[in-house]
Amino acid sequence: MALGNDVHVTLAGAIVALIIAAMVGATLWWMLHPPSSYVQRIAKRAESELERMVGSLIVVFSPEIDSSHMLALAVKLARGERSELLAIYIIEVPYTLPPDAEMPSEERAALDALGAAETIANNNNVTIRTETVKTRSTKQAVLDVAKRVKADLIILGSFREGKYSGAPLGRTIEEIAADAKCDVLIGVEGKHGTLLIDETLQSASPQTS
Amino acid sequence: MSVPRTKAPEPELRRSVTPWGSFSWGYSDVGADIFVGLGLVLAWAAGATNVAFLFAGIVYVCIGLAYTELASTYPVAGGGQYFVMRGLGDLFGFIAGWAVLLDFTIDVTLFAWSSVDYTSQLVPALVNSAHPWLHFLVVLTLVLGLCLLNVLGVRESTAFNGFVSALDVISETLILCLGFLFAFRPGLLIHAMHFSWPTPYQLMLGTSLAIVSFVGLESISQAAQETQRPASIIPRTSVALILTILIFALAYSNLALGLHPWHPITDAHGHPMQFWQIFPHNADNQGKAVALLAEQVPYYGAFAALYVPILGAVLLLISSNSGVFGSSRIAYAMSSANLLPSIFQRVHARFRTPVISIVFFSSIAVIELIFAALPALVPAASHLYSQFFHGENGLEFLADLYAFGAATSYSFVFLGLIALRLHDPLSPRKFKIPLNIPMRIRGERVDFPVIAVLGFIGIFSILLFTLRTHALGRIFGPTWLVLGVVLYLLYRNHRRLPILRSRRRDWRTEQIDILRRSGELELMDEYLANLKASDARRAGQT
Repeated sequence: MALGNDVHVTLAGAIVALIIAAMVGATLWWMLHPPSSYVQRIAKRAESELERMVGSLIVVFSPEIDSSHMLALAVKLARGERSELLAIYIIEVPYTLPPDAEMPSEERAALDALGAAETIANNNNVTIRTETVKTRSTKQAVLDVAKRVKADLIILGSFREGKYSGAPLGRTIEEIAADAKCDVLIGVEGKHGTLLIDETLQSASPQTS
Repeated sequence: MSVPRTKAPEPELRRSVTPWGSFSWGYSDVGADIFVGLGLVLAWAAGATNVAFLFAGIVYVCIGLAYTELASTYPVAGGGQYFVMRGLGDLFGFIAGWAVLLDFTIDVTLFAWSSVDYTSQLVPALVNSAHPWLHFLVVLTLVLGLCLLNVLGVRESTAFNGFVSALDVISETLILCLGFLFAFRPGLLIHAMHFSWPTPYQLMLGTSLAIVSFVGLESISQAAQETQRPASIIPRTSVALILTILIFALAYSNLALGLHPWHPITDAHGHPMQFWQIFPHNADNQGKAVALLAEQVPYYGAFAALYVPILGAVLLLISSNSGVFGSSRIAYAMSSANLLPSIFQRVHARFRTPVISIVFFSSIAVIELIFAALPALVPAASHLYSQFFHGENGLEFLADLYAFGAATSYSFVFLGLIALRLHDPLSPRKFKIPLNIPMRIRGERVDFPVIAVLGFIGIFSILLFTLRTHALGRIFGPTWLVLGVVLYLLYRNHRRLPILRSRRRDWRTEQIDILRRSGELELMDEYLANLKASDARRAGQT
């Protein structure tokens, strides 16, 4: 039996080689694909919901609605999920003025808000579109823009300080949340959160000692 | 008066080990075994090496299935020792744990030794027979270094383990596939089996050494408490590990016997030799069999010769390290269960590591190293070893003890599995070993595991082979156990704990807690329903 530097492939060797490769590959593939548990299925559903929820985002600003803190969150979300991001500033024109009336102080405030929005987006390498909308009704304008851009999520901040008018979140915000056809995310800053608690109830509750 | 504060929950181990992480924990331990075992088995079982691996492999499959069922039913750190303690009581739990501790200390020395052997393929100065003192000092440095790293709390990460394991699985699959494709001659295999069949004594010895290639499944159970969804993941990773290792072991043994060497091998007289013939009576070759085989694979061998020794050395060093932290972990678990003195639970204030455990068991590893290296270092000792211990070399001595510890602990694990099936039929078993005999005990349906009985017979026969054929193993192995039992009895007596009986424990509450903490909420619901149904049945009977 000559042992040397020659090589020839035998059928048995080739079959065994094939079986080894197939068995090792199949075993590892099977191991890495376990069936998911009930909890994992819930988590997966929630995650896929998120993908559907954040495809297109609108962040709403107005003289009554301060969304600057929510914009930073929206930018992070858009960056992670590669969403389309639109920031709109709504200027409500009173019926006493024509629809296209000039409102310098509001327009100036819009430039500041949307400029800050662009800065945050640029800092995070996210593309953002901005728009200023003049309207008779903030709620209707937001819903119309959402319909036009097929928004998946409307993001709103809370009312501006000093504008509290009885409705815990501000009437406009509540109306948008009630009538929107897509998801709505409302962010209340911690320092304003206490305003949402009914003070009469708070005073009536027993003191903890 | 201040508002009462709720108590902060006890910190728990974070469940961050993924399926691949769990597999690689086991693989970095068991996967390294073939690097050590192949050469030793080829040296003794010769033409029946594949048969020795097959027998040990069948037993290993039974062991693997037993561990899979137990680790997925009781996903806690502690492994075999915990299962045996729960099934058979404190004393047997201690013996199983003490045998595993022997294995872990041997693991440290044996794999560090073999790691240096593989390195010697590239650095000839480290060849043991040529430079025994240098070899000894390097192994000693590695053991002490690992001890120090573990004291400082430096551990290789799961990611590193995963990377090395992936590299090794790919590498070994390539070596085997290309080896069978280009260098396998069925005629050589048949020739070796026909003309070089070993004596029954050699076959027994070879088989007892072959089990060395399958030790380490414990690691997956050890990490159960950190594994995500352990009851679901561990069965998969364990079965995958069992299959992968079995495929490799059977393929290596058959390839080694039927390998047509790429570079001709001749004996001292210039006569051609088969590949496997380079292992008998050559401890240097026995320690690096996989590297030598890889080198002989046509084409690929030139490349493999460069990296396989390094990959083998790294994998073996990881395995050696798993011995250091594994022993401290087992000692910690045994100490928590009042099987060992509480000193083994003591954690260093600064490093937050169980320093006493690490240093104690590393010291035992060093003593084992000195004993294994002595014949090569001191010629007078070599004469003594030849006279009393059949002239076993250092590697064989370590492998003897490794086989003894593994066979002992695995025997108890099988008994523990049988006992748990009978005592605890209500715990949901996401994975159950097939082939069971249904029966009723105290009104409960019980599945008696036939495979566990067969596995016990298999591993117990390997234990008997070890005691029959290993001159050193049959002295030092039982001595270790007797010493441990004496310490256990003294400790239990000192602490005024039941000496031969077990402490009372509420296993029901513990099991609910185990399943809740492991995130297996569906299994927890199933267990609670089983308990309720069982209690209702008993109430109806009375």
